[in-house]
Amino acid sequence: MSEPPLRVAALMAEIDGDVRERLRRHVVKRGGASEYADEDVFEHVRAVLARAADARNLDALLLPELLDGDVEWELQTRLELSTHRPGLLGGTILWAKRRILLPLTRWLFEYSQDNFRRQHLLNRVLFACIEELAIENARLRRDAAARPAPLPPDQGPATSRR
Amino acid sequence: MKLACVVHRFGADIAGGSESHCRLIAEHLAARHDVTILTTCAHDHVTWKNHYPPGESVAGPLRVLRFPVVRERNLHRFMDISDLVFGDRATPEQQEQWFRENGPETPELLDHLRQHGREYDRVLFWSYRYYDAYFGVPIVADRAVLVPTAEEDPLIHVDALGPLFARPAGFLYLTPEEAELVGSRAPAGKPSAVIGCGLDPAPASVDTSRVDAIGVADPFVLYLGRVDPNKGCEALLRHFTQYADSGRRVQLVMAGPANMPIPDHPLIRPLGFVDAGLREALLARARVLMMPSPFESLSMVLLEAWNRGLPALVNARCRVLRGQVLRADGGLHYGNGVEFGAALDYLLDHPDQARVLGAQGRAYVDREYRWPIVLARIEQLLAETA
Repeated sequence: MSEPPLRVAALMAEIDGDVRERLRRHVVKRGGASEYADEDVFEHVRAVLARAADARNLDALLLPELLDGDVEWELQTRLELSTHRPGLLGGTILWAKRRILLPLTRWLFEYSQDNFRRQHLLNRVLFACIEELAIENARLRRDAAARPAPLPPDQGPATSRR
Repeated sequence: MKLACVVHRFGADIAGGSESHCRLIAEHLAARHDVTILTTCAHDHVTWKNHYPPGESVAGPLRVLRFPVVRERNLHRFMDISDLVFGDRATPEQQEQWFRENGPETPELLDHLRQHGREYDRVLFWSYRYYDAYFGVPIVADRAVLVPTAEEDPLIHVDALGPLFARPAGFLYLTPEEAELVGSRAPAGKPSAVIGCGLDPAPASVDTSRVDAIGVADPFVLYLGRVDPNKGCEALLRHFTQYADSGRRVQLVMAGPANMPIPDHPLIRPLGFVDAGLREALLARARVLMMPSPFESLSMVLLEAWNRGLPALVNARCRVLRGQVLRADGGLHYGNGVEFGAALDYLLDHPDQARVLGAQGRAYVDREYRWPIVLARIEQLLAETA
């Protein structure tokens, strides 16, 4: 008789449970939020942040759309050389910037550019986290609004007032 | 049929994924069809510097026509325009210019398509991101079959791709994930097929003594391919160092040319380029294949590992790799360092289960990626695009 197949999805679910517990203990041990002593709280926070970091499309977020046009929020890593001086002097200055200064400082520019790109990714992940929290908040507000309003204490059910 | 295969580089010594894919498919199609390769004189994928002589030559069953690259890639200009295009701030003209800057710019190849394109029954283009495919597909749109080799990188969201994906008569995809990614941007109803790539069964016996000869001891896990930050190797090294420093005694063997520094660590063993024999021996003896790449359109290395019954540990952030592992039930995936450690622990501590995962990977290759299966899918697509 052939062996039953080993399902990766089921294995990963088992490993994920172990990973979450390892992660929680690791964060608590390093002095993380005391609320994480509660496994349920930790799991809820982890799930919300993981959704933001893994599941959100970082190219389709709301906050950057709202910022667009109002402020220069996006990192500009493109190097544009210019001068306000006109004519031959301006041309000579631009030539010197391109041919002498730029090659001399290229290493610094490229080093910075790499770090700017990392920062840009981090910014987008943080935007995604804010958006995820805002969505969570909107859902909770909608659910809370859909619930019947609690009665004031003096108008509670008759059975509670003898 | 008379077929043309258009690819940005071509040669037995060229290791690129889409270039190798094109060569393998073309060689197998040549058993039934008259196949011509239309390519450039470039060998270096960074500069596109002309290396091979232009003109006609023969490579096994294939006729090869090479066209000169008219300008080498200017990396600074390319990075500048990439920032504009990927930052969603580029005009349509700048988006089109991106494909010129990416190159390899070969106007004579486009002239050949204009003058002789109708002489081919089908023209297959590899990799939408290069000049020859972007500007070539519209010239022979009615007979063009695009093999996009698309990955989930920022380029796929560029607006200029909408008109491109509307043109070819059909698509050949490497994975269902790629079909979904490109298919959502192409007009509905275009003929398409998911083909992956064909593999022959691995030889039954392998001389593994070469692994001992170079001093690689069991247990070891294997990374096979170019050691490059773009392939996820920085993260792999970071995760592995952290894992090894926690006390686990397992070696990471990295077999492939290095484009980045590899830390001097007692449990990390860089081998540089390895020949086919040593590659097979490493695959036969390793415990796990590591696939840390965040962007893949297929991963031939993963299929090779499964062909040898080796389980894989892949980067879950790459939808294609995660999808392949789940479809095959052929390994585990991780999204961060803690998951990396837990999954690797499982594979090393449960050798029986790891063997079953590897065997399931091999069964998946048998079901999906043997040459007769792959070629039948291509033939059907070629017939549908008539």
